[in-house]
Amino acid sequence: MTNTISLPQSLPRQVSPEVIRRRRLVGKIISYILLTIFGLIFAFPLFWTVSSSLQTWQELRSYTPHLLPAVPQWHNYPTVFEEIPFARFMLNTMLIIAVTLPGEIITATMVAYGFGRYPFKGRNTLFLIMLGTMMIPSQVTLIPQYVLFFRLKLINTYVPLTIGAWLGGGAFNIFLLRQFIMSIPLELDEAAIIDGAGPFRILAQVIAPLMKPALTTVGILSFLSHWNDFFGPFIYLNQMKLFTAAVGLRFFKVEAQMGQQPRDHLLAAAAAIMTFPVLLVFIVAQRYFVSGIILSGLKL
Amino acid sequence: MTTMTGRTTAKTDPATGKRVHSRIQRRNNLYGFIFISPWLIGFIGLWLGPAIAALYFSFTNYNVLNSPKWIGLGNYVEMFTRDDLFWTSIQRTLYYAGVSVPLGVLGSMILAILLNASLRGVTVFRTLFFMPSLVPVVAAAILWVWLLNTDWGILNQALRHLGWKHPPSWFGNRKWAIPSLIMMNLWGSVGGTRMIIFLAGLQGIPEELYDAAAIDGAGRWQRTLHVTLPLLTPTIFFNLVLGIIGALQAFDAAFLTVEGGPGFATWFFGLHIWKHAFQYFNVGYGAALAWFFALVIILITVLQQRLSEKWVFYYGGR
Repeated sequence: MTNTISLPQSLPRQVSPEVIRRRRLVGKIISYILLTIFGLIFAFPLFWTVSSSLQTWQELRSYTPHLLPAVPQWHNYPTVFEEIPFARFMLNTMLIIAVTLPGEIITATMVAYGFGRYPFKGRNTLFLIMLGTMMIPSQVTLIPQYVLFFRLKLINTYVPLTIGAWLGGGAFNIFLLRQFIMSIPLELDEAAIIDGAGPFRILAQVIAPLMKPALTTVGILSFLSHWNDFFGPFIYLNQMKLFTAAVGLRFFKVEAQMGQQPRDHLLAAAAAIMTFPVLLVFIVAQRYFVSGIILSGLKL
Repeated sequence: MTTMTGRTTAKTDPATGKRVHSRIQRRNNLYGFIFISPWLIGFIGLWLGPAIAALYFSFTNYNVLNSPKWIGLGNYVEMFTRDDLFWTSIQRTLYYAGVSVPLGVLGSMILAILLNASLRGVTVFRTLFFMPSLVPVVAAAILWVWLLNTDWGILNQALRHLGWKHPPSWFGNRKWAIPSLIMMNLWGSVGGTRMIIFLAGLQGIPEELYDAAAIDGAGRWQRTLHVTLPLLTPTIFFNLVLGIIGALQAFDAAFLTVEGGPGFATWFFGLHIWKHAFQYFNVGYGAALAWFFALVIILITVLQQRLSEKWVFYYGGR
């Protein structure tokens, strides 16, 4: 583009196109080398987990590390399910997600719509307060919440872990969705009003269908955060049959370290089992996920 | 910001203008509050109420089973004068946050700039970088304790191979435990959401600015330094603030790897609060610790905001 317009006098000495092309090539090669190095650093621990999970513990504890198992020990995986009720734990987590995921999507959309479309009294103040709650450490509210749920005899139930999802589902989700709603032209709402649609119908039939990328993002974030959540289930659940996968895996880790025989291979397998569903969800949905964040116009 | 009032007030009927306006305002109030009611209920019941309750508890001696007993500033006095682990945990937490966050933000930015260069196959790398941030922290803890195992860990095996006869015992060593946590944290966070936010920030930089710089004869490196970097400062600031708020609350990784050890080397403030509130059920003292901690975080955030006026640049003003 630059060579089609007259160049200003301040331009430094002319560089021949060939030199430019060569410089670009060098730049590209350097970029690829850096990307590959970083890629290997990031991928290696994951590769190592899978490889470890398929070795015997004797292999793992030899002084010449094996990058790959001599004979893949596939039975390490079923063994994990025999040693702890991991299937049950995963089912428990899925149950929590089945309750929280729709809750977060529905209520966060509602709240975002309220903040994005209705200039009610005190809106800006409340919106700022909502953003401010993200800055306060959760420990402050966690202790009294625990006391509250204790008094209500809801320890060892899933209520404390799921109720928040039906109450707006977190400031970040609301913020993300509200930004997205603001980018939808107001004319669409107005046309729907003329057609006689009420506020709830407008949200459900006009706005929500346009929010797919943003809603997918919120859905994935919600799935991930509940699948990975450790602290909540850790303080609210102390009966093994109620454990989530995260708490169950920690239980297995502590138990394995006390065992007679090293169980590093089984721990690696359990860690891999815990990680697979998350990677699967991400790989299926990553296109929406990344564009969802970028499209929401995370304007800072 | 286009709002409904902006448009509806323009439509006011000159004769009965006021009534139309107030009717619309009433409608906006009604539906606005109906729509935000889930959040409002949650905010009052699960946030504001508990925060105030915590403040009250912090002036009491309370163990959940008995009713709270007012002791005035007792908990705060104990915290500052008699609790040995209080200052230790603050120091550990600041060390961890002060190193891991700037390094992490820098790392995420470099990766995003590399990915933004519109090269072929970039999506593959982006996925590769992102994957560690998806690994559940419990699994990551198992994985890193194993990677950094003194005897059989692959890192030490490699280091011994390279001639370092006695490599550090990482999580097993008081001096190396926090650096180990920092490594684990960087691996799991550098390529994650923070990097995506940087990518979004990079895509928001107007193309004209690069063209203009190129016409002025700026090379790729100079454009990065004089166009990209200044325009990314709002994103850097955002990530620093959120990163520090998050890192100061660190609990999971330190607890799941070494439970605050060895010898309290990774005893972060989050663990200290947890121990008192949920292990000893010393709710009053735990609440005092939590409130003090909240004030520290707010103070640090405000300070960053103040400092940001010196180095954050908003293109086209704010």
